Amino acid sequence: MRNSWLIASREFMERWNSRSYKIMLILGPLLILLFTYFLLKFGDQGKNSLRVLIADPANLFDNKITSHPTKAIDYKFYTTYLDYAEFRDGNRFKEFDAFVEINEKILQNKTVKLFYRESPSLDIKMKIKFELERRTEERLIAEFTDLSIDRFRQLKQPLNVDFINVYDPKNQADNNRGWVGIFFGSLILFFIGLFGMTILRSTSKDKSNRVVEVILASVRSSDLMLGKIIGIGLSALVQLIIWAIFVVIGLVVFKEFIFTDIFDASNYEGIQYAADIKNDILLNASSSRYNAFIDLIFHRINYGVILPVFFIFFLVSYFFYAAFFMAIGATSGSESDGQQFVIPIFCLLLLSFYAGFVAMYYPDSFLATFFAYFPFTAAMTVLVNVSMATSASGLVQVLFVLLILLVHAFIFLKIAARLVKNGILNSGHRLNLSTIWLWLKKS
Amino acid sequence: MIAISHVSKSFNRKAALDDVSLKIDSGQIYGLLGPNGAGKTTLIRIINQIIQADQGSIQVDGKFLTENHWKDFGYLPEERGLYKAMCVSDMLVFIACLRGLTRHDARNNVNHWLAKFDISSWSKSKIESLSKGMAQKVQFIAAVVHQPTYLILDEPLSGFDPINVDLILSELKAMKAEGKTIILSTHNMKSVEEICDQVGLLHKSKLIVEDTVHKLRENQRRGEFVVRFSGNMIALANALWTEFELLETLELGDNRFQIIVKQRGERSFEDLASNLMGKIKLESIAERLPSMQEVFLGLIAKEEEKNEE
Repeated sequence: MRNSWLIASREFMERWNSRSYKIMLILGPLLILLFTYFLLKFGDQGKNSLRVLIADPANLFDNKITSHPTKAIDYKFYTTYLDYAEFRDGNRFKEFDAFVEINEKILQNKTVKLFYRESPSLDIKMKIKFELERRTEERLIAEFTDLSIDRFRQLKQPLNVDFINVYDPKNQADNNRGWVGIFFGSLILFFIGLFGMTILRSTSKDKSNRVVEVILASVRSSDLMLGKIIGIGLSALVQLIIWAIFVVIGLVVFKEFIFTDIFDASNYEGIQYAADIKNDILLNASSSRYNAFIDLIFHRINYGVILPVFFIFFLVSYFFYAAFFMAIGATSGSESDGQQFVIPIFCLLLLSFYAGFVAMYYPDSFLATFFAYFPFTAAMTVLVNVSMATSASGLVQVLFVLLILLVHAFIFLKIAARLVKNGILNSGHRLNLSTIWLWLKKS
Repeated sequence: MIAISHVSKSFNRKAALDDVSLKIDSGQIYGLLGPNGAGKTTLIRIINQIIQADQGSIQVDGKFLTENHWKDFGYLPEERGLYKAMCVSDMLVFIACLRGLTRHDARNNVNHWLAKFDISSWSKSKIESLSKGMAQKVQFIAAVVHQPTYLILDEPLSGFDPINVDLILSELKAMKAEGKTIILSTHNMKSVEEICDQVGLLHKSKLIVEDTVHKLRENQRRGEFVVRFSGNMIALANALWTEFELLETLELGDNRFQIIVKQRGERSFEDLASNLMGKIKLESIAERLPSMQEVFLGLIAKEEEKNEE
């Protein structure tokens, strides 16, 4: 084991001292933060303030909208009939971004048309819809009931139909949180793909420059394999931790200094607004869609659970997949030869994404269960299950999946060790399945 | 002592070594000879435990070869390999640590060897920046840095200029004097003659001969003598008469000559000396033994003939 650590530390230092590794240490989190910045900055691309002309020839709205109209929308009333073409081309209407046509049958057909020059943001759309609806409601109350507006609103309660999973009565499972699992699972797959290829290339390079013969005169081939996998894995882990530290610092900076208005609930008028319209299922859904990203990152991820599960599955999955990359690197005649054999491994990595979506949308399906126990897709599936906190993915199931993955990692590392032993000194040949089979049979 | 007993190894049903047995005494330099593909590298890899024999065993000082012996062996492979991105001292320390040395001892040994070879200034140079000859020196140090008892060198002189060949050969002689056992696989027969005590000749996966260098050369003697004298050639021809055949003549100047003669029939060294005595002014007479190159070629040719029959 001493020699494995010596090899591991050499592999780690080789990566640590390489320029590309250092560049990626900084560039990786910077790209993630840049992506997040753009998502926050330009997440809602539409126009965020609007001057709206309400054409109300029947004066049904009585030149009024709500008692506390949104600041971002400036309403003006026009009590003459207005055609959209006239609005579009007329010079005196140029100052308005949109006009709302209130027809005299609005109380019957409950339809309003809004013509815009430039599409408003989703938030503005929601607010206009809400305010027009509230004003129409007031007119309806006055026209058809003897109730006060406040009394009517007290009585008016929509029928909520909650769809509840009997295994998840508290409705902890949440598709949005499933995305967290997909994100963490993708990180695992990304690092496995990236550093798996590093293992393959490093092994091929050692073969081609013949240093492997010098090393094998001092250590067992299995020690060499373990050392390589641990060393390269360690560099992956360090990179991941440094990325995580940078990203967390970046997100804190975003929250505290750059996007204070978005993150601070008291500054975000949409929160108050959303609270006002919480009975409106449709609007509520739209609202949550707008700030889902922020909500997800800062409120809905159970970091205390997901991070330990992520690191454990990261390590075990890495060892599991590393066995394949190492075996291919050691048995292939050249680096390009080995890359062909990597394609099936990458197909299995891609299958993990599919497994993640299956686990997110059909968590109780047979396929989701299968993917959870299938070693190639276990990490992604378990992370989705854990992030969604489905009761079916309890601690026992996670531990059982981990055990299966551990056993498979051990078996495949054993197989890889045999292939490394029999294949690593051969080079220049063309790798084929019969050669692999031959080396597998050889003791 | 290293005792190799009935070692066989085959790759894809093709024999690379077939029932090879040999003994290498402690403190010897043993030359492992043979044409390309004879099985030398396979045997060397088996001794180094890089690959395992299909059959047979190897004992070191009476104990079966195990991983515990790794620290006692040093190995210079034919195809040199170093981590190109590492600096010289780090590479050597890494190899020494793999061979069982502590980091502190490894560093001391590396500094000692770098100073000995007068290359301390390369210590922080990257391997990739070294010339082939420089890298060869580093590779040689990598084989000896942990002070092994047994040193296995596969073509140790290839890639070196004559000055460095001399340096390596004298280093090997010094190690032998310290009691180290050295196995040397080489095609450089001159160096075999110069430093090897014993040789084993492998041909087509079999050991065909094993003996001391001197005995091998003696066994292949052809009754040829080198004579240096002054006088005239007619007197020489009369002296040789029909009992010796003149093969080569070399004029040294000042009426001095060097000739090579070959005995005919049962004539001996004494016959030649008595024939020449008094007829020419003799400077020296010595039997001309075949070079290791000639011995090697002769043995291989004989083996080929045997196989053809």
